[in-house]
Amino acid sequence: MLLEKTRCLKAAAQLSSQTVLLKELSRLSSHGGARRHFGISRPLAAKVPPPRKPRERVDIPGLEMVTYADRMHFVPGLTKPVGPRWERDYKDPRYYESPPAHEMPLFKETPCYVFNQRTSALEGVRQALWLTKTKLIPHLPPQLLSLTENPANQIPDQDERVQNAIKHARFWDTTQERPGKEKYSNTLLLNLLHLCATLQSSHPAIGRRIFSEKYSLAATWKRGEDVFQIRGQNGLLHNCMDPLPEVSGKQEVADTADHVLEALYPVSPTIDLQKVHVYKDEPNCTGFRGDYPYPHAHTLYFLEGADARCKLRPEQFRAKMLMFTFGNALVRAHKAYGTQPRHVLDRPITVQAVGTNGRIFQFMVLQLNTTDLSGDDGIKNQVPAGLTGYKPEVFSKFLALYLHGAV
Amino acid sequence: MAVSCLTRALRSMTLSQPALLSSQAITQTGLCRGFLTTASLEQNRTFWKQREKYTIKPMGMKKTGGRDHTGRIRTHGIGGGHKQKYRWIDFQRLRYEPNNEAKPFEEKVVEVRYDPCRSADIALLAGGSRKRWIIATENMQAGDIIKTSGVIGRMAVSANEGDAYPLGALPVGTLVNNLEVQPGKGSEYIRAAGTSGILLRKVNGTAIIQLPSKQQVQVLETCIVTVGRVSNIDHNKRIIGKAGRNRWLGIRPSSGLWQRKGGWAGRKIKPLPPMKVYVNLPSISAK
Repeated sequence: MLLEKTRCLKAAAQLSSQTVLLKELSRLSSHGGARRHFGISRPLAAKVPPPRKPRERVDIPGLEMVTYADRMHFVPGLTKPVGPRWERDYKDPRYYESPPAHEMPLFKETPCYVFNQRTSALEGVRQALWLTKTKLIPHLPPQLLSLTENPANQIPDQDERVQNAIKHARFWDTTQERPGKEKYSNTLLLNLLHLCATLQSSHPAIGRRIFSEKYSLAATWKRGEDVFQIRGQNGLLHNCMDPLPEVSGKQEVADTADHVLEALYPVSPTIDLQKVHVYKDEPNCTGFRGDYPYPHAHTLYFLEGADARCKLRPEQFRAKMLMFTFGNALVRAHKAYGTQPRHVLDRPITVQAVGTNGRIFQFMVLQLNTTDLSGDDGIKNQVPAGLTGYKPEVFSKFLALYLHGAV
Repeated sequence: MAVSCLTRALRSMTLSQPALLSSQAITQTGLCRGFLTTASLEQNRTFWKQREKYTIKPMGMKKTGGRDHTGRIRTHGIGGGHKQKYRWIDFQRLRYEPNNEAKPFEEKVVEVRYDPCRSADIALLAGGSRKRWIIATENMQAGDIIKTSGVIGRMAVSANEGDAYPLGALPVGTLVNNLEVQPGKGSEYIRAAGTSGILLRKVNGTAIIQLPSKQQVQVLETCIVTVGRVSNIDHNKRIIGKAGRNRWLGIRPSSGLWQRKGGWAGRKIKPLPPMKVYVNLPSISAK
């Protein structure tokens, strides 16, 4: 009996020491990193041994591994059995894995460089000019600016109404102190457009236009050996039933053949463009169906704050304007004259663009003279461009661009 | 599920005669997977850098606070400080673009900016269709054109600051930085602000460089280095000014306990350690 009691006491003592040790173990080991501690004779408060790296698994193809599958329990020395990969026999759209790029039906070896509405071109306008084979003319064409000199083309109380429009956009449109940038730039643009549209009574041609938003543009062209595409939803488009008249005469167009495009060395012109191997051939799409009553593009209006994820610097913003204007013009040229590159277009296509960040307005007119963009020589397209802060001339330029084609 | 599998198979083995091992058990053995009897055996440490593809976009970083995988402090005095975003620097300067051929190329410096993760400034280089960050040298400015070459000619090249050449192509006595000790591995030495090494001599196929600590190193002459001093040369002259600035840099105060200094403390005047050789020269004894 005594012996039993001593044995019980010894067992109890051992158990208590073990519980104490276990408590120490749980205290000392870090959370989630419990390494088994089998020894109870040595102290636990010593240095923690470094982590053991798991044994490297070697995979030799063709060699059959002996597993412990038939023994139904772990056997040291044999590998873990790997079952067949389970495939879902029904189609579930939540768990669909797309095939890798080279197995897709539209995969092509030659990559395509895509300019989308969130691309920020490193070299800005210079890169866009090279890609579109365009010559930059530093000022807007004088016949365009002279449109607003004529008092018949001016709005009554123009200055006052423009200032009211600005005040509405910048101050009056909110209960807080100042409205946010995307709000005031949007309001300002719409107010100015409304002001211009009040001239419809004297200029009936303005009635043959319509605005459209959220249209998806897709234009393709080849430059050298590379294929380029412009895709995206860019902004507000002012469509027209009649095409715009051209801004520069035939002689100036022929003169551009001597102009040499600026080289971007050491940077390649494809920098910052999205490189894709899976793309459709020739997806030329204006964003509208064939029977749309307003087929010709008149002006594009770009707002800098439209896309919150993408903040573009002024240079990159101008490049984006240029690329999308070019895309619109090219797509309409392809529709009118076919997709084969033509050296000179009989009637050059003109598209205008206005970009703003609410304070600074950028104006641009693009004249597409050629769709033969593969070589660096030959006739180039032309871009007269201008930029101003607020002065009364800004609105006159805005109005001039608006009235172009209607007067 | 696995337990039921196991019991089913074992039951079939006991009830039936041993010779008639039922086909049920055989087919089910393939479906038996193991089960874990311990707690989770993973370590505490997860590395924040998960991405394998290079990018110039700054990434969020996780601070360790001097703690190791067990959670204990392994290095004292680290912790806190301003949040920092990591900009992935390409230390392998001679990296050709995937579709280009292997010949000397030029790149343009787009911008030079401050990097919170190191003492030197970094520069964004654009060349071909790719952009990458590198450690900027002393007089690098936006708009410069920088050359990288892997060719060793007979004549030494008169190198401009910021260009990268193999050691065998540079004249003796040039100031170099971003040294790689094994060709193609990427630079691991002379990267701190204002530092530079000196190319001392070139000895048949190898080159000897003096590091900023006056230690001399012998490496293969095909290792790429950049020419010039690293940017931000006045870094060692800055004055911290207050304890708070040190805390902003992530440096925690040291323990205030007075501890007897041992043999490691005090000024030591001793000869330079022998030159470290990173070249596997063929030994004479191997025949």
